[in-house]
Amino acid sequence: MKITRLIALSVVLTCLSFAAWAQGKPAPKDAVLYFVWPQDGATIKGGFWCRFGLRNMGVTHAGDDFQNSGHHHLLIDVTEPLDPNEPISQDKSHLHFGAGQTEARIELPPGKHTLQLVLGDAKHYPFNPPLVSNKITIRVN
Amino acid sequence: METERAMGEIRDFKSNKGGKPAREASPRRLAAIIAGDISGYSRLMEIDEEGTHGRVKRIERSLIEPSIAEHHGRLVKTTGDGFIAIFDSPVEAVRCGIVIQQHMVGRNASLPRHHWIEYRIGVNLGDVIIEATDVYGDGVNIASRLEGLAEPGQVYISGAIYEQIKNKLVCGYELLGDRKVKNIADPIRVYRVLPDPAAFSRTRKRRENILIFLLSLTLLVIASGALWYVFWLPHGKPGHQASVPVSQEMPKVLPSPAPPAAKQAAPLPQPLPPAAPATPQTAPQPQPVPSVAPAVKQAAPQVQPVLPATPATPLAAAIREPEMKTMRGGSFTMGSDDDATEKPPHQVSIKPFAISQYPISVREWNECAAAKACAFVATGKDDAPITNVSWSDAKQFVAWLAGATRKAYRLPSEAEWEYAARGGTQTKYWWGDQFQPGMANCKNCTDIAAAEQPIKVGSFKPNPFGLYDMGGGVDQWVEDCWHKNYQGAPSDGSPWVEGSCASHVLRSGSWRNDARYARPANRDSYDTNVRYPTHGFRVALSL
Repeated sequence: MKITRLIALSVVLTCLSFAAWAQGKPAPKDAVLYFVWPQDGATIKGGFWCRFGLRNMGVTHAGDDFQNSGHHHLLIDVTEPLDPNEPISQDKSHLHFGAGQTEARIELPPGKHTLQLVLGDAKHYPFNPPLVSNKITIRVN
Repeated sequence: METERAMGEIRDFKSNKGGKPAREASPRRLAAIIAGDISGYSRLMEIDEEGTHGRVKRIERSLIEPSIAEHHGRLVKTTGDGFIAIFDSPVEAVRCGIVIQQHMVGRNASLPRHHWIEYRIGVNLGDVIIEATDVYGDGVNIASRLEGLAEPGQVYISGAIYEQIKNKLVCGYELLGDRKVKNIADPIRVYRVLPDPAAFSRTRKRRENILIFLLSLTLLVIASGALWYVFWLPHGKPGHQASVPVSQEMPKVLPSPAPPAAKQAAPLPQPLPPAAPATPQTAPQPQPVPSVAPAVKQAAPQVQPVLPATPATPLAAAIREPEMKTMRGGSFTMGSDDDATEKPPHQVSIKPFAISQYPISVREWNECAAAKACAFVATGKDDAPITNVSWSDAKQFVAWLAGATRKAYRLPSEAEWEYAARGGTQTKYWWGDQFQPGMANCKNCTDIAAAEQPIKVGSFKPNPFGLYDMGGGVDQWVEDCWHKNYQGAPSDGSPWVEGSCASHVLRSGSWRNDARYARPANRDSYDTNVRYPTHGFRVALSL
C-alpha cells in the first residue's frame, strides 16, 4: 500500500513537472501571427470567413507538443489583458481552434468589434512572451 | 475560387472549337487529386440498403462537397461509394482529406461499430487531363491505388505530395515504403498522414512512460529508504508493520499513534467485513503509522461513498456506479432570449431518465482508466470532478460504464441536461432571476483560490431536483452536435446529432466563466476531439 501511495505520489510529481514545463514555452523570435482577412478597419456585411496567418511556426492540434507549433485562438471584443500563467480562457469571446483550423466562419452582431489572435501551446497556454497578432477593429453592417 | 476560374478557362478552351489548336491541347495541367471511397460499402448496403444510401448521400452533401469547396477544390465526380476531387494546392488537398476523416470520426462516434461509414482516402500530385465531368491520367490512377492501399479512416499520400507539404502542414507522416501498384510501372512511395493526436504522440508517450517509470523508481527507492529509517528507529520492528496485509491488525495499530485519526478511521472496520478483503480500497488502510496521520483523514472520505453504492451483487462491488437521480420527465421550455445561441425558446418533452447527481469524479474516471478503457489516468484529488476530457474521451467513459454494468449509461442529451438543470423552474437561474453569490462555482462568484480549483463535486447547494453543480464548476459535455441556435432542433428530448459534428455542445459553464455562463440555458461548443482543462461531464441512464 505504501508502494501504491508512493507511485501515485511520484506520478503526481512527475506530472506536475510536466505541467510546469508546458507553460510559457518560448516561440521563435521571428514568428508572426496576423490576420490574412479581415484587414484592420474593414467594413463587412454579415458573416465572414476569418483567416489566420502564422509565419515561421506551424499549426498543430491542441495536445500535440511539438517544437515551434501551436494552435489558434480568436479573441473577440476582449479588453482584459492576457494572463500568461493561465490557459487561454474558453468562452464566447475566446474562440479555440484546437483541431488545427486556420480559418473560421464568424458571425457578429452589427457594430464595431475588435479581433485579436493568440497562439496557444499544446495545453492552451500562451507562449512566453505571448505570440499575439495586432488587435484589429472591424465594422459589421 | 481560383480553381473555379482556372476550370472556367479550361472549359472555354474546349468549347472554343474554332480557336487555335495550340490552346486546344492544354486541358492538361498539374493537380492534386483526392480519391476517396467507403470501406465495406457492400457490407453496409447489405445491412441496411436505404439507410446507408441515405447516409452516404447526406455525408456527400453536408461534408464532402462543402469541405472540398472550402479548400478551394473541385469535386469532379462521385461514384456510388466514392468521389474524386482535384485541387490546385497539395496542402489544401491533404487538409481536405484530414477534415473529412476527422468529421467522420465524430459522425460515427454515436453509432455502433458495424454501422460506421469509414472512408479510405488517397492523395496524389500528377499531370491530368481535365474534362467537365471526369479527369484522366496516371495521376488519377495512382490516387485511386493509394486509396485502395489506405486503411479505413486513413489518408495515404504519395511521395510527390509529401515533398510539397512536409514543411507546410504540421502533421505526422509515416513512411510506408515504396509500393508496387497495379498497372503503374514505377513503385510509388507511400506515406500515411497522422493527424490524430493519439497516433502522433504514441512514440512520445512511450518515452514519457519510461521517464515516469524511472522517476517513480528513484522516488520509491528514496522514500522506502526514508520510511525504513523512520520505522527502524522508534519501533525496531520494521518489516512487521509494513507487511501487515489486512484490516485485522488495524484496531491494534490505530489507537496508539494518533487518537484524532483513530476517531476518523473508527467507522472503517464496520463497512469492511462485507467488502471482500481483496478490494483495492483496503490498500490504503494499513497506513496508520505515525508519520501518515493526515493520510488517514484522506482515506476516510474515500471509503464513505462506497457504502451506499455497494449492494450485495458482486458486479456492483467491482465497479462503483455514479449516484443517479431519477428524473420524472415532462414538458418544459428550453432555451431563452438572453443569447442568440439560446433562441428560440421552444417546448420540449422529456421522457423519464436518470442523471448522475454529480459530475463524474477523478476517482470514477480512474476506474475506467484502470480498466484500460479510458485514455489517460487523471491526477488531482479523487473527489474533484474529472477535467481535461474531450467529448470523445467522455464517450469512451460511458461506453465502458455501460459495458461493465450492462446498463444503458450514456451522455445526457442537451435537452435532458437543461431540463435537469432547471429543476422545474423557468427563471434565469434555478433559484430565481437574480444571481446570488455562493450558489454556483463561477468566476468572481466565490472566494475559492484558483489553485484549489476545481473543488470537489457537490460543494454547492443542489437544485430542486437534488442535482449538484448544474451550472458552474466544470463545463459538461452532452451528446448533441453543436448547432448555433435551436432552429430545427428536435422537440422530443433526443440528442440532435445531424449536421457537422466537428464540435459538440458544452453545458454548465466552468469556474473560469462568469455568472452568465452558470445559467441553465447557457450553451457553448468546443472541438470534439480536443481536451481543455475546464471540461468534464456527467452521465445519464435510460430507464
